[in-house]
Amino acid sequence: MKKVLALILVAVLCLGCLAACGGTGDDTTTTTNGTTENNANAAYDLTKVGEYTANNTEFVIGATGPLTGDAASYGISVQQGAQLAIDEINAAGGLNGIKFKFDMKDDKATAADASTGYDALYEAGMQVSLGSVTSGSAESFATRAAEDEVFALTPSASADPVINASNYSFRVCFGDPDNGILSAEKLAKEYKNIGAIYDSSDPYSTGIYDAFKAKMKELGVTYLEQSFDAENNRDFSTQIEALKDCDVIFLPIYYTEAGLIAKTCVAKGCDAFLFGCDGLDGVAAQIDSTVTNKISYITPFDVNSEDEKVSAFVKAYEAKYNAKPDQFAADGYDAVYAIFEAMKALGVENVKVDPAELGKALVSVFTADTFAYGGVTGNMKWIASGACNKEPIIVEIN
Amino acid sequence: MSILFDGLSLGAIYALIALGYTMVYGIAKMLNFAHGDIIMVGAYAFYVALISSGHMALGIVVAVIFCTVMGMVVEKVAYKPLRGASPLAVLITAIGVSYLLQSISQLVFGADPKVVTIPSLGTVSLLGASISVSSIITLLIGAVIMAGLTVFVKKTRTGRAMVAVSEDKGAAMLMGINVDKIITITFAIGSALAACASVFYLMQIPSVEPTLGSMPGIKAFTAAVIGGIGSIPGAMIGGVLLGVIEKICLSIPVLSPYTTAVEFSLLIVILLVRPIGILGKKRREKV
Amino acid sequence: MIKKMLKSDDFKLKNCINYIFVAAATVIFAILNSTGGLKTSYANLLVQIGYSIILAVSLNLVVGFLGELSLGHAGFMCIGAYIGTFISIQLNTVIDSKVICLIISMLCGGILAAFFGFLVGLPALRLKGDYLAIVTLAFGEIVRTVLKNLPWFGKAMGMTTGAVKFTKKDAPLFIVVFITVIIVLFLVQSLVRSKHGRAITAIRDNEIAAKAMGINVTFYKLFVFVFAAFFAGVAGVFYGHYTTPVMYTFFSYNYSIEILVMVVLGGMGSINGSIIAATLITIINTMLQKYLPGELAALKFLIYALILIGLVIFNNAPKLAAFKEAVSFKALLAKLTAKKRRPEDILNDPAHWDKIPTKIRMDEVLSTDIQPGNEYVPDKPEKGGK
Repeated sequence: MKKVLALILVAVLCLGCLAACGGTGDDTTTTTNGTTENNANAAYDLTKVGEYTANNTEFVIGATGPLTGDAASYGISVQQGAQLAIDEINAAGGLNGIKFKFDMKDDKATAADASTGYDALYEAGMQVSLGSVTSGSAESFATRAAEDEVFALTPSASADPVINASNYSFRVCFGDPDNGILSAEKLAKEYKNIGAIYDSSDPYSTGIYDAFKAKMKELGVTYLEQSFDAENNRDFSTQIEALKDCDVIFLPIYYTEAGLIAKTCVAKGCDAFLFGCDGLDGVAAQIDSTVTNKISYITPFDVNSEDEKVSAFVKAYEAKYNAKPDQFAADGYDAVYAIFEAMKALGVENVKVDPAELGKALVSVFTADTFAYGGVTGNMKWIASGACNKEPIIVEIN
Repeated sequence: MSILFDGLSLGAIYALIALGYTMVYGIAKMLNFAHGDIIMVGAYAFYVALISSGHMALGIVVAVIFCTVMGMVVEKVAYKPLRGASPLAVLITAIGVSYLLQSISQLVFGADPKVVTIPSLGTVSLLGASISVSSIITLLIGAVIMAGLTVFVKKTRTGRAMVAVSEDKGAAMLMGINVDKIITITFAIGSALAACASVFYLMQIPSVEPTLGSMPGIKAFTAAVIGGIGSIPGAMIGGVLLGVIEKICLSIPVLSPYTTAVEFSLLIVILLVRPIGILGKKRREKV
Repeated sequence: MIKKMLKSDDFKLKNCINYIFVAAATVIFAILNSTGGLKTSYANLLVQIGYSIILAVSLNLVVGFLGELSLGHAGFMCIGAYIGTFISIQLNTVIDSKVICLIISMLCGGILAAFFGFLVGLPALRLKGDYLAIVTLAFGEIVRTVLKNLPWFGKAMGMTTGAVKFTKKDAPLFIVVFITVIIVLFLVQSLVRSKHGRAITAIRDNEIAAKAMGINVTFYKLFVFVFAAFFAGVAGVFYGHYTTPVMYTFFSYNYSIEILVMVVLGGMGSINGSIIAATLITIINTMLQKYLPGELAALKFLIYALILIGLVIFNNAPKLAAFKEAVSFKALLAKLTAKKRRPEDILNDPAHWDKIPTKIRMDEVLSTDIQPGNEYVPDKPEKGGK
């Protein structure tokens, strides 16, 4: 009993010490999330040399993304798209004679690894970043980047908490809620029997679906709902069975599962029209001639587009990686070019530029009314919250 | 009705995988966490054979041979040196092998899912529901393999030797059984079963990626435990039960996101009622 | 009281070498940090090492000392991370200091996790070995599935913890973590070296015999599960304050297995082993991530897997035992210090109980595979013994 008492005493004492020693350094509490102000007039000094960038001989763009594990294909696509852009820029002489370097660290789509990856990149001289590929990691990355005022332009993390995490966080892709609202309006107007399948384990899918659900409720349209958990179920027979008689099935999910759903539709004899968002891009490679369902999706990027820029990108990508680019690759490609254009507008000449100063400068460029960039995913303009405005196109298959 | 059929065909896949699990566990007394990844390797082998030759049958043969050889190699290299060491050490090695297989296949094939085009066998209508022929075949083959295994274990010399090894290694050795050889054979059979399972898996879910094996692996492990680890008919029952429950949960929209939780809760409940699984054998403990 | 403890017989320098080491590390790094000599990446690495140590040591209690295989440790951590940090975020609206929020939520998260530890401990009374392992694994997955679908915790997106996350401007988190590590070590080692600890190891070695000796098996089993779950919950709260968002993907059974790997590599029932293994594995993971460029990320898993398989085989293969003896630094040291090893030393430290010479090694006789060259040899007296 005495020993137990002693233990408790010691524990309490230690906790007391802890509170005391911790309390001293804690007088400044900062909250980084919340509203985003316009930093257009912030002063910056592009000649300043950063703490870790003194040895840089190239501009360093960093990012993290899932390069192993379940989501690896998305991370690898972004990495390849971004690397292609970097190679092109370097081949064309870089910016003011200075070349670029791109490094992506693996984060297995977890927040903790994104944070560790950020540290490694920042201390290796990263000056500007593409944030991270998946939403959770991108929020983690953006929060860390905000502490050092590093600019983060995420190619593909579409959840709103990502751009809300800091004033320095911007995105290239559409936002999830926008996608959901747009889809709800379109489907409610054009179709009667509507069904929806979403992935309860994925932030992208739940983000779009929640907005879709709210909008449908507002419009007073009823529909059938089904869900799955991509970690645990990859067999979609039950869901398709339940939605067999629908005219249209809304799929706010990624192309890998959508391909399987299309094939299940064939097996189940369901001829519904499959409609999705930008995540469906790439589904063409996942289905074969047996699939006769009409598939279409809202996307900023169409791999078969006649557009000169797009076809040049697709050609270059195919030459380098021997595969067709998907929307992730296109987003990564555009993100690098957007940063490049912004830096060109700023006329950055100092290869050792401090990331924080560059970050402030880039925010002022991106939020300026005059800055726009026309890439392979459309003409983009950014608003102060970090969201990107661009025109969606609808791609149809079959 | 059709939910039941869907559940049965999914359950048949789980059951096939669980059979491999339960064999290896029953005889070698180790949880082979790499079993799911052997399925993944089998699926890739099948995929490669299929696109290069175009024959289903050839694909199956290649997958089975490749997996069997690989199962034996893995056993020789990674598990055999640890014979007699603590079961936990073997468990950790199995996990290491699982990581190894996943990373090698990502390096070889890339991370993006590869689509396997298997000609559809069509559907038949039964009791007012349409079922795909492939799921019926899966069920039938599962039952045949189960029956075959039971006969093999009961009637052949090797099978009886396996039972002896699983009962008591030391005594089996004293009776002149080559325990090492029996364990290697067990791994070969387990891996061949995994290869079969991978083909049936692809018939229903026609896409291959490096992490394909982890989910069915863990589900099959659960199924094997529900049925009673080490029991061949138990694995079958556990697998089918799990498949049906999963499909029923998925068909109820409110419950659907919680499917995994429901499945695992079922496992816990079953184990609390019958701590050795549905068909597990009770062993008396001695001091 | 402390004085009395210092005076008592069971106080030995060897027993507290790990406190001294951890405390020294804390002080050194704290000084380095205050002078600005510590890079953020290292401060963050220290936090990760800290919570890994807490996880490994607490799991070791279940696996190494109680002898039950648990694959659900990440589940308890998940509870601490989600609910504990949720409490902290609520508290933060009232209390300004993040450190105080952290400490209160640590206790809350720990107690909640401990409650679930109690629930998981209940089946442990009825189930054995691998059956219990799958139940703990199932528990971890259930927790994860439920938490990721609850709207309060941000659903699949995870819970944003930006409000309480420790940033550069706050007190360094690793100091808090390391002080907790010392407390955890103290509590765990006191438990292990007490009569309760001996009761727990007795259950591990033979449950029926322990029961016959009058040990309350039910109580001790539940107690260990609750105790270990508490610390896993605390580690989870640290995770929530270290990074944002708290996302369900991190707490999969793969992470439980990673903690188990730390315990097994460090040596079952060896607290110091767990500390070293947790530190090394965390460092290896970070270094592999840091130095491998993106294109080679898949190699990371490959290297990690090879290290894992190699280490386990080297450590455990019976056939390598003789080779290991020959090259082992520890054996050399033991030879040099052989005279100092008294039987009482071994007797008092449960971690060394496997070295106690018995008249007949019953288990060994019953389970040895008899092969030429491997016949049963009667026990020889230990070299160092008198």
